[in-house]
Amino acid sequence: MNKTVLLKRGAKQWLAALPFVLPGLILVTMFILYPMVFTLRIALSEYKIVQGEITFIGLQNFVNVLSGGSKFWYALRNNFLYALVTVPVITLGGMFFAYLINNLRHGQGIFRVGFYLPVITSWVIVSLVFQYMFNSSDRGLINYVLVDVLHLVDNYIPWLLREWTGNAAIWLMGIWKNMGWAMLIFLGGLQGIPHELYEAAELDGAGLWARFWNVTVPSLKPVTFYVIVNMIIGSFNVFIQVMMLTGGGPNGKTSTLQYLLYDKAFNQFQFGEASAIGLVSAVTIVAITALLNKRLQLDTDGEEAT
Amino acid sequence: MKKHAKQLALLLAATMMIGCMAGCNGRKDPEVSDTPTPPAAQNTPEVKTEDEITLTFWYTYGDNEEAQLLNVALPLWEAEHPNIKIEVVRQDDSQYHQMIVTSFGTGMSPDVARVDITNVAAYASQGGLVALSDFDDFASISGDYLEGPLSTNMYQGKYYGLPLDTNCKAAVVNKNVLSDLGLNEVPATMEEFISAAEGRGTYSLNVSGVGDWDMYPYFWLFGGVLTNEDFTKATGYLDSDASVAAINKLKELHDKKIFTIRDVDGSVDAWDGINNEYAMFFEGPWYFGSYEDREAAGIVAATIPTYEGRSASVVGGEDIVVFSTSKHPKEAYEFAKFMTSVKVQLAMLESGQLPVLKSLVNDKAVLDNPVWSVYMKQLESAQARIPSPNNSQIQEIWSDTITNIFVNGADVKTELHNAAELIDEQLR
Repeated sequence: MNKTVLLKRGAKQWLAALPFVLPGLILVTMFILYPMVFTLRIALSEYKIVQGEITFIGLQNFVNVLSGGSKFWYALRNNFLYALVTVPVITLGGMFFAYLINNLRHGQGIFRVGFYLPVITSWVIVSLVFQYMFNSSDRGLINYVLVDVLHLVDNYIPWLLREWTGNAAIWLMGIWKNMGWAMLIFLGGLQGIPHELYEAAELDGAGLWARFWNVTVPSLKPVTFYVIVNMIIGSFNVFIQVMMLTGGGPNGKTSTLQYLLYDKAFNQFQFGEASAIGLVSAVTIVAITALLNKRLQLDTDGEEAT
Repeated sequence: MKKHAKQLALLLAATMMIGCMAGCNGRKDPEVSDTPTPPAAQNTPEVKTEDEITLTFWYTYGDNEEAQLLNVALPLWEAEHPNIKIEVVRQDDSQYHQMIVTSFGTGMSPDVARVDITNVAAYASQGGLVALSDFDDFASISGDYLEGPLSTNMYQGKYYGLPLDTNCKAAVVNKNVLSDLGLNEVPATMEEFISAAEGRGTYSLNVSGVGDWDMYPYFWLFGGVLTNEDFTKATGYLDSDASVAAINKLKELHDKKIFTIRDVDGSVDAWDGINNEYAMFFEGPWYFGSYEDREAAGIVAATIPTYEGRSASVVGGEDIVVFSTSKHPKEAYEFAKFMTSVKVQLAMLESGQLPVLKSLVNDKAVLDNPVWSVYMKQLESAQARIPSPNNSQIQEIWSDTITNIFVNGADVKTELHNAAELIDEQLR
């Protein structure tokens, strides 16, 4: 077969596929690619929103963000802390509960629904519940129980108004809300492990722990990677908890990059700096994912790259 | 079948492409003549005559205020201007500013809106508003408005709005708690109040947060100064001895458990605590939605007790502005003027919106009301916040400073000096 015939056949195949690919391609271009490119453009420009004037100013926005005081660094730190605290807890907790539920003879459905319920509940509603629980003075459930019921503490604690208790509430909410998702993914992974592996291990004399460590954990490696990567990406998208629970206070010490971005754009009209913050978090996520990929040395066979 | 599927897919793709392109086309330069038609205008039926237009009006009125607007004010407007319809849109208060910023980006701003006085300069600096002082009759009507509220519309020598309603904070006092402190009447001076509250062991005076609206009245009351009179310099004022002394006084009251900041101490919210815990807090007139109920519970309005002979409060309120994307700026300006006319101001006063016209300050309706009269009196000693397009940044500097002092125990003089330098940069 000569080259032109091959080319012709290739073009024909493309043409045949195009109508089916085109709708998706248009949507991706309009709603993902175009905004991404536009964000990059704004990040390098001074953007006057009403007039639509975009003036190129190079890296000035990035310089302003990085040298503009401690708020950015606190926000970045908090994103990393959120990842450091919540990702291991969610991953291990999700795996643990999935393992338990998978070994249940009865009532799997109830537990699965129970664990998954927080995932489908609205972030705003959950935030309101957490706000009530962590409320100051005796109006908050936790304060009321600690001080008035159990008498463990003498004074009411202003949970959401201090740096570390505020961050802890944000982490706790993230863990509670996401663990069910990890559980469900692990459950899927567990059900995909061939039973023969366990039988073989048992014949070799492996106990419960040895079976878990030598069969379950290695078999779940791709699933674990998927959960970790997703949770890390999620850690750099923390916004609603911060907005609803602490508002970034006191002085931005519970803020995150997304909250800072929102504040810069919508309260201060600094769309360029806000876009720069968005790009910084995007680059951070890509870098961490690439690093993890290399570390865990996995084949990128589609699932992991999601 | 296969062919049909392909044609269908192609058709779908084409429709989507056209849809997307149409959607992206909505964003236009306001100065270009083919600015997007406001959504309300697009919906008008074709049978209407050429002259008939619709103006979109955004606001965040509460139920009572909205009822007055819809039942009293708008029928008056429609009677006078049968060809100009007003489409009202009530927005959520908490995200209103963000809604307006978003509308700037999408070119879908309303024609006219009621906005907080502190945001007018920022919107004007973005080019989002029409300078109303460019209209011929502005000079002749501007003298009718109270100077304080009018000045909040000023940006770089032009007025970008008309004052719509005004307010300030005054004292909300629980007379029952007061009598527990041994005071039978609302004290005239803060000195009296402090000596009565001292030794009570629980907080008697509450403020919600550390922001400007909450803390400025206290700061000013105890002698603090923010900037020079022209609002161009904070160093030498915010970090002056008088300002340091004012914050130190607040710290002293805080340490003595007389004064509490809810967002610092995690204490009970003022609206809740005033019922039986706190003796006093400062709030706007909206606290007294139903004065009879409040009075029955022993809670009354009073002017803020003086300290060293001076009272203080902070000016609040809203302006009405016309957006530069409006296709009908003239009519929108006409509507803004209508909303500030005597009859509409009196109608809105019924729902507690204090008037901005000089002619209504001593109106019988104001003077006879136990709440409005207090607030109109308090307005005499109320000061405006720093008018600046960088208002949001200035607010943040102030809040951070107060948080640092009260939460982290930072040195008052150093903190105020740093804040003054940062505010100077914003005022440049």
